[in-house]
Amino acid sequence: MSKLDVTDIQGFALRGYNFPFARYLFVKILDKRKGQECLGRFIGDVTTGERWDTGKPRTTVNVAFTFKGLVALGLPEASLLSFPVEFAQGMKARGAILADTGRNSPRHWDALWQEEVHAWVGVHGQSPQDLDKQCENLQEQLQETGGAAVIGSQDAAALQIDGKFSSKEHFGYTDGFGNPEFLGVEKDAQPGQGKLKSNGGWEPLATGELLLGYADEAGELPLAPLPHLLANNGTFMVYRKLHQNVATFRRYLKEKGELYPGGMEKLAAKFVGRWRDGTPLELSPDGGDPKIVADKNQNVNFTYGNDLAGLRCPVGAHIRRTSPRDAFGFNGKLVNRRRISRRGMVYGPYVREDQEVRNEDEHGVVFMALNASIFRQFEFVQQQWIEYGNDARQGNDKDVLLGNHEDGGKFMIQGTEDPKNPPFLCGGLPNFVELRGGDYFFMPSITALRMIATNSVDPR
Amino acid sequence: MANRSGSVYGLTILSPIKDDLHAEVSHSQAIRMYLQTIPQDQRSPLARVSSTHMARLLVMDDVVYFGMPSCEEHLSAKYLIFESNFDGDLDTYLGRLAREAKEEVDALWQHCQDYPGVEDEGAFIAYMKKCQVETTFYFADVNDKTVQQTLRALQTQSAVATFIEKNQGKPPDELQKEFVKFFAALRNAPEPMPGSGRAREVTDKLL
Repeated sequence: MSKLDVTDIQGFALRGYNFPFARYLFVKILDKRKGQECLGRFIGDVTTGERWDTGKPRTTVNVAFTFKGLVALGLPEASLLSFPVEFAQGMKARGAILADTGRNSPRHWDALWQEEVHAWVGVHGQSPQDLDKQCENLQEQLQETGGAAVIGSQDAAALQIDGKFSSKEHFGYTDGFGNPEFLGVEKDAQPGQGKLKSNGGWEPLATGELLLGYADEAGELPLAPLPHLLANNGTFMVYRKLHQNVATFRRYLKEKGELYPGGMEKLAAKFVGRWRDGTPLELSPDGGDPKIVADKNQNVNFTYGNDLAGLRCPVGAHIRRTSPRDAFGFNGKLVNRRRISRRGMVYGPYVREDQEVRNEDEHGVVFMALNASIFRQFEFVQQQWIEYGNDARQGNDKDVLLGNHEDGGKFMIQGTEDPKNPPFLCGGLPNFVELRGGDYFFMPSITALRMIATNSVDPR
Repeated sequence: MANRSGSVYGLTILSPIKDDLHAEVSHSQAIRMYLQTIPQDQRSPLARVSSTHMARLLVMDDVVYFGMPSCEEHLSAKYLIFESNFDGDLDTYLGRLAREAKEEVDALWQHCQDYPGVEDEGAFIAYMKKCQVETTFYFADVNDKTVQQTLRALQTQSAVATFIEKNQGKPPDELQKEFVKFFAALRNAPEPMPGSGRAREVTDKLL
């Protein structure tokens, strides 16, 4: 394949920036012409995929649009009608497929999502002051042109534990391991990150699993809007605000951990497939090992082929369901078209294990996923691997952490006759995580942003 | 024999649909309209014929032409397709179909060429067999269990999970006592109804 033009691709599509602070602004386009003008002035600020040879910047800025946003910006109908259906419908309309029902249904989402969101502006920064400064700049541009207004925002920040930034989330798990590698995207190669080769090694996935305009794992071009220049080097982003019921999680883990002969920490590890320090259960079934966590050649480098019965990592553990590697057989070939790039960010303050915590308080993860096809990749993972268990041979059982259990789920932990690793069943699963908002976004290339801003998208 | 996968019979029937230029509503349309009224849950006529694992009825209009370079081809008639996976032998099943889903079978197949009706069961069975083509491919989840065994297994699995949930960690003698009680209740549980996929609701009542 040809080399990627990283100056034309939004940096956020290619890599997680690993900044401790973020603010996501949600924008409404007020006027088509002024909105275009506003976008035109803004493009220069957008962070591309170029390498940071002179060190990290203070902030990054990226932008993506909902379908309604593209309508408001005046894209021609022939272009609008060429977008994939799930994107045009938006996430709310896909609720039945995603199991965004009951407590996860849109009527329970934050007030912001009761309005029409047109654009997402993601600002990442090294400090809250950097974020403020960047956001003030943006606000000025919006006000001067009168083309758009911020109707809501979401702050997020890495948890600070004992004064230090941590990569943990609120349930205490070290997060952020494992994102697929794609052909042409520069990254420190890490064994375990791409797709399995027949000799047991790993190689990057086809570029077209992430970016529009390139061949995907089937050798096809992903479904993309017209004209090609509007689509090429762009991608689709899923944004979901996942509220964490921290009190419920801690109570449940403690209660079941007292019954589980392996103890509470091991039970927590069985839920996810990693010890809470990040050590994969497959590599270290008896306890966490900081050496493995720190070793890039080990911390995502494992398969399930020698543990088909789930005796180390349960068959229904979170990371085994959502990135099954070779767990479904055929040397992992069944999963290569279902991979997503995650860009998660935690929100809400850390509450120590020995301190009181309430479900109502703002704790959660802003889950963002990038993929070439929301339908084939994110929606499939959500519907089939999180909210259903057939592929993982778990019947109707849902993902223990993310599933919409409605207080009725169960999670089976496979085990042996070893008294410290017996089979164990977790029943009466509550919803540990609830959806509080989100939508589907199109993240255009820099070229496409210019086309939109100059009203020159021409699908003919 | 390809029509059988273990104990499960795979039936494929293609019945040519009548072509009547003077009909006010074409026969294929009439079939589609009727199919749209058939319930797909426990009230399905095929749930009545309780040895049915799963079945499908559809109308095949013609060969779809995709354009060059494929060549354009046509069927000599439209077809009513009936696919069914069931337990037992073919004659018994077709006989049950004629008796237990009489009204629906008549309503559908009356639009097909040379359909003899269901009153003469022998003639009906002979007709259906004449329309049969060999089944060569099964749904991946077809196993060697009967409908009743499958429903029972789902019921048992769900009941055992609930039992474990309630009793794991209890001292051995107490656990054994509970299990004996549970086992007796499960053994005496009524057979699950055909079409009742939701075993959980059944076992929740049971326990």
